[in-house]
Formats: sequence, C-alpha cells, structure tokens
Amino acid sequence: MIKASRKGIVGNGVETIKDLSNSLESKNYRGSVVFKVDPTDDQKKILENICPTKALFSIKENNAMGLDNGKCIMCGYCNEVASKVIEIKSKPAMPTKARNQLIDFSSPQLSTEKPYEQIGNELNKKIQKMFGRSLAIRQVDAGSCNGCEIEIAALNNPIYDIERFGIHFVASPRHADVLLVTGPASRNMEIALRRTYEATPNPKIVIAVGACACSGGIFGDTYATTGGIDKVVPVDVYIPGCPPRPQVLVQGLLLAVDRMIKNGI
Amino acid sequence: MNKTNLENYANEITDKFSKMITKTYQNNDEIHFNVELNDMPKICDYIYKNLNARLATIICSDKQKNGGGFVIRYVFEKEDVFIFVVVSVGQDLSFPSIALQIPSAALYEREIKDMFGLIPTGNPDTRPLVLHEHWPEGIYPLRKGFKLETKPGRQEKEYQFLKVQGEGINEIPVGPVHAGIIEPGHFRFSILGENIINLETRLFYTHKGIEKLAESMKLDDVLFLSERIAGDESVANSTAYCQAIEKISQVEIPNRAKKIRTIFGELERIYNHAGTLAGISTDASFPFGAARLNILKERLMQLNESLSGSRILFGVNKIGGVRCNITDENKKLILKTVSEISDDFEKIIHLLKSKSSFMDRLRGTGTIPKKTAHELGVVGVVARCIGIDVDTRRDHPYASYSLHDHKTPQQLMQHKIEMEKRTGDALTRFEIRVNEVQDSFGIIRESLDLDDDALFTSIPVHLEPFRSALGCAESHRGQTLHWVMIGENNSIFRYKVRTASFCNWSIIEQAVLNDIVPDFPLVNKSLDLSYSGNDL
Repeated sequence: MIKASRKGIVGNGVETIKDLSNSLESKNYRGSVVFKVDPTDDQKKILENICPTKALFSIKENNAMGLDNGKCIMCGYCNEVASKVIEIKSKPAMPTKARNQLIDFSSPQLSTEKPYEQIGNELNKKIQKMFGRSLAIRQVDAGSCNGCEIEIAALNNPIYDIERFGIHFVASPRHADVLLVTGPASRNMEIALRRTYEATPNPKIVIAVGACACSGGIFGDTYATTGGIDKVVPVDVYIPGCPPRPQVLVQGLLLAVDRMIKNGI
Repeated sequence: MNKTNLENYANEITDKFSKMITKTYQNNDEIHFNVELNDMPKICDYIYKNLNARLATIICSDKQKNGGGFVIRYVFEKEDVFIFVVVSVGQDLSFPSIALQIPSAALYEREIKDMFGLIPTGNPDTRPLVLHEHWPEGIYPLRKGFKLETKPGRQEKEYQFLKVQGEGINEIPVGPVHAGIIEPGHFRFSILGENIINLETRLFYTHKGIEKLAESMKLDDVLFLSERIAGDESVANSTAYCQAIEKISQVEIPNRAKKIRTIFGELERIYNHAGTLAGISTDASFPFGAARLNILKERLMQLNESLSGSRILFGVNKIGGVRCNITDENKKLILKTVSEISDDFEKIIHLLKSKSSFMDRLRGTGTIPKKTAHELGVVGVVARCIGIDVDTRRDHPYASYSLHDHKTPQQLMQHKIEMEKRTGDALTRFEIRVNEVQDSFGIIRESLDLDDDALFTSIPVHLEPFRSALGCAESHRGQTLHWVMIGENNSIFRYKVRTASFCNWSIIEQAVLNDIVPDFPLVNKSLDLSYSGNDL
C-alpha cells in the first residue's frame, strides 16, 4: 500500500510513487496461478473440468499440465478446488512477445519482475533513444468489459503518472506509435479495429491487453466475438491478466519498445 | 417484502381482467399473469397508466423444443412487487407492439426482433439494434437452434441514421473509436452552428453474446461471466445473479455473507463515484480536482485489492454467499482507509464547490425533462436527479440493506421535499453522487459488526428445470436486473440481463438538446453510462 501524504489532499504534496523497491501489490492479490507439484491424472481431469476459460490443459506427450496465462481470468477457482497442486501468487504473470510464451508448465518457473518505477525509467531511456522523448499510444476498446480501461486510465493518475516516462495517450490513431487493444475483438468492432490499425502510421506496435484480447478470455470464440485481437490484426506483445495491473501494463510497453529496437526501425 | 402490497395489486388486476387471465401464480415478490397475446396491450397499458408501474424489462425465451413456442414476459416494477405479464407468441412469429403507449418498450422490442426474429407489429422503428447491419437476415442468435460458435458471413448494408435537413445543418459523426480511454459507441450529431439539433446514439459495438454464452456454461461459471458484464459493476451484477439462483433454490444466505455483500457493494459504489466525479471535473476543464479525486480512487482500488485480491472486486460473490472473508485485520484496514478517504473527500468537494467557474459549467447543463425521464423508465442517479425516487436498495431490500433504512417520518418528509426540488442537470447529478459517497461511508461503518457465522450456505445439487426468478441489485449506475431460468441438468435455459445503462442510454439524446457540442462530454460523463453493460 502506498503511504498517503497526510499533509492534506488539496495541498502540494507529491503522491507519485517513488520507492523503487515497492511493487505495490498487496499479499492477497490474485496475480498468477502457479503449479506447486505435478498434478496426478485425476487432479488433471478435475482441474481441466473446473477452469471456466479452459486455461488449464493437460499435455499428452510429456504427461504434464499447461497453464495458458492468456486465457486465465484469475478467478482462483482452481486453487479452491485443488489447493495442494495450485497456488495463487501475488506476483502477476508477465507480458510476452508471442502468444505461446504465455503458457506456463507444471514444472514451475516464476518470471523475474521489477518494480513499476524501475521499468518506467528503463522505458524512458529507450523512448528517448528511439522516439525522441515521446511514445504516443492510442487505446482501442474492441469489446472489453471496461475493466482493462479502468487500469489503463489509472496509468494517467497522479500515482502512476506515466507521462513522466515520456508516454502519452493521444486522441487519434494517426498520431500513435502504439495501439493498446482490449476486449475479445467483438464482431461489431472488427471493421473499426481493422480501420484503426490501417490509419496508424508505420512503424506501429499492437499490444493485446488482458485475457480477452489474448485469447477471447471468458467470452471465448463465439458468433459475437472473434476470440482474440490477433485474429483481426497482427499483435506484437501480449499482456495477460484480468485485468492486468498498471505495473504489468508498463512492462508490456517496455517489451514493445524493445521489440521495435530489435526490429531496427 | 410487503405481502399486502402484492395481494392488493394481484386482486386489483384479477378483478379488472378476470376474463382475460388464464393463469396466475406467485413466486416470492413476483406475481405472474398468463394472458392471451391479443389482450396483452390492454393489461400492460392498465398496469403502466393506472397502477403507475415502471416497465422493468421484457424477456423473451424460445421454448419451441419444449413444446411452448416463444414466450414473452413483460415485467413491471411497482414499489416492492414485480408484476409479470406472460404471453405465448403464435405461429406467425409476431406480437403487438406496446411502444406507442409505453415508450421504453421500444428498445426491448427491437432487441427481441434481432435476437429471436419475432416482429413487433406497430413499432415505428424496426432498424437493427444489437446485431449491426452486416449481420445476415434470417439468423437469430438466441433461438435454441442457433449454435454458439456459428460465424455467419457479412453482408453489405448501411445503417439509416435520422437525417436532419435544412440550411446550415451539419453532421458530426463520432466514434466508434473515441478520443479518450473509453468504450466504443457511435454518436451522430446534427448541429446548427454549435447548437445540437439532434443526437442519435448507435451502440452495441461491444456485444459479446453474454446471454447466449451463459446457456452453454455451468451455473458457477456464469457467476464469473456476470462479473464481467461490466467490469466496474462486478459486485452489483454478480449479486443480482446470485440472488436469482438463491431465489430459485430458496436458500437464505448467512447474515455474515449479507453484510459482506453490502460492504463490497458500497466499496464499489464509492470508487466508481469518485472516478465519475473526477471525470466530471476533467470534462468541466478542471484537471486539478480530477487529479485529486483520482488519487482517492486509486487508494480505494488498493483497498479493494487488499480485501478481495482484485482491484476491481472480481471474485467476491459465490452462489449462496460470498467467497471473500473480512477478517478483524481487514476491518481495521477498512475503518482506517475509510476515515482517511472520507476526510480527504470532504476537502476536495469543498474545493470544487468553491470554484464558481466549475459550478457554473455544471449548472443547467444536460437538463433532463422529467416527463421524458418517466417515459423512458430511467433508473439510478439519472432518475433521482430529476426527483424520480427509485433505489433498489430501499425498494427491494437485499443483502443487509434493510438494516440501514431507518429514517424518521420527518426525515422522510424532508427527503420528499428535496426530491421535488431536483432539476435534473449535471450539477444535481454531481451533488447526488457526493451525497451517495458520504452515505456509503456510513453504511460500510455500520455493516462492519459482522455476525459470527458461515460465509455461505450450499445450494441444492439439482435445481428443478424451468424454474425461474428475478434477481436485482443497485449498482452505482442504478438497478440491474438478472432473470434466470434453469434448464435441464442444472444448466441455464435463459439468462436475461438488463443493466441500468440499457434504461439510461436513451435519455442522453434528450439531455443534450439545449446544449452545445462542447458540453457533450460533460453531459455524457455526468450520466455515467456503461457501453459494455448495455451491449452485453
């Protein structure tokens, strides 16, 4: 928890987080699902059956179990049913550059993850180098429940204050370097999303934000959705979570800028 | 629930229409009248005009496979009673429209036309609503024969907006991708200079097929779906869904669970109202106030996280109770945070109210006409801002809200007088939200003396097929209604959701008529409408 400046809310105190070691999650936060041990065959069946988004699946070849973070909505139901096998960690699952990297296996490996402020500073340096101080983002809602929007909007509040890293949200895709897309790409938004993508000048990066954008999430692939942003436009970075917290969102942006540097634009 | 109320209305309708009613039955606070299709408009008209009831929703379901054809339920809300008028639709797949007598019925009828392919005869507007013009004709998603995964092709067609013609009239199309970090929708302004002559909204861009999807899911999984109807109304929507199932299985949830539901419901209201007030401040060009309110919103979201494990309160409810406990340690945290935040909130509001430029910007902007508000059946803050006194927490007490409604006769009178004075502009909505936040702090404090019992009671393993019930809750936007009919093997036969936004969206077209285009964002924010909750 942040320490509120008790001098007075309408005074001139600084609210922005500056403690480098503080990663802000509370210990109760449902950040990621982790396997404690290899599940037995019976446990696998139960887990597969109860997961509402089919994020848990067994792999026949090596007899292991996989967890697709791109589908997981962090309901914590698997932990309730099989607490011996599944653990909920407060450290959130991290963004990746490819869809299949979002899948964890029952042989446990936790991603190393840095505090918000540190990621932001790294990001700032790279943006300075690449874009001459500023990275412009256009957010597109392609059918989200508004949960991801709340978190993206939180990046602009005085506590996360993303503008100090040289990142800002712009009003038109024509001004944007990055498209931040949420939602399962509803059928009614498909054309609008495609046209927004086309209107964004090259080079451009598309980031799929949240479980819905990565895989369709709980809404899946139905008559009304397309089951993920990558079915409509090419995606460069996937950010898991339902919804992903602000710190994971900046991590995703860092990954996107890295990718742009590697691709040599 | 007041039994006499229910019986009085039941008797009144039965006396008046005894010849037309083929069957009557009661279910908790619901009373159902089965009537013939042709008699329906007369009865609905009587309930609406003479009983002065509000049309709450219209529910259609496809019972063809179970030998019943299509069934339509017209649900009216009168005080603490829900009156259902139930009709079966015949072979010609059409039903008489009641939109001309009850204007709020128009949207429901268009929805039924899109999703079930039943024609509302007499509805002046039969353009597509939920399924946009690219959807091929003759395919209806909510019919039982339609498979969830079907992907029909696209057809080329254009949506007909209302055209305003005349010298100097311009059109401004806005959306579906907006300039801010918000959800998608299309607005078509017809303007003369800066003045808005007409506004037409086009929504349902975020239609995700929630109602159809629920029919393929398990009862427990639909709970997670209901939380994601609108991310910021997760507690209200899941509470309404749980209450519907609990009503069907006739379980009473433990007192501790009731109080925890109340606490989380109010926490949700506070953080969203803080966000909306911040948005109003931004749109009135006063970013300082917005920044301060956003700090409070963030602190509240961090409190949410410490309590429930999710920053936007996902995973609080469970059918039969709650999943998330509030320990003694949490109680201390809540008390501490709430007292800090209510202090700071007072200070910010005092500051905002002392800025004459801010107050002037809000006063008289986005005024809603009371008669129109009545006809469109608005709910929540939008209804209360014009003196339509509806609040599900008081009208249909759920969770532990009945414990908090203790007004003296004098206070009740004052409340009535105050309601009469309300003018329906953005400033009134601002003030109502401020008051509601302060009330919520009080309700949370009062609810913290939790009873020492279980978090949930288990519900019966097998629920009787084709039993149905209506669950309702008050989100920060207003009443949210969830109607569930159980199918075979504990599946869901039909899940109908009507959130507050569905009722409130159409009022925006009226609210902006006396304003200029730059006022639109402010009016929109002050009404606080959800796209996702509307589109489903």
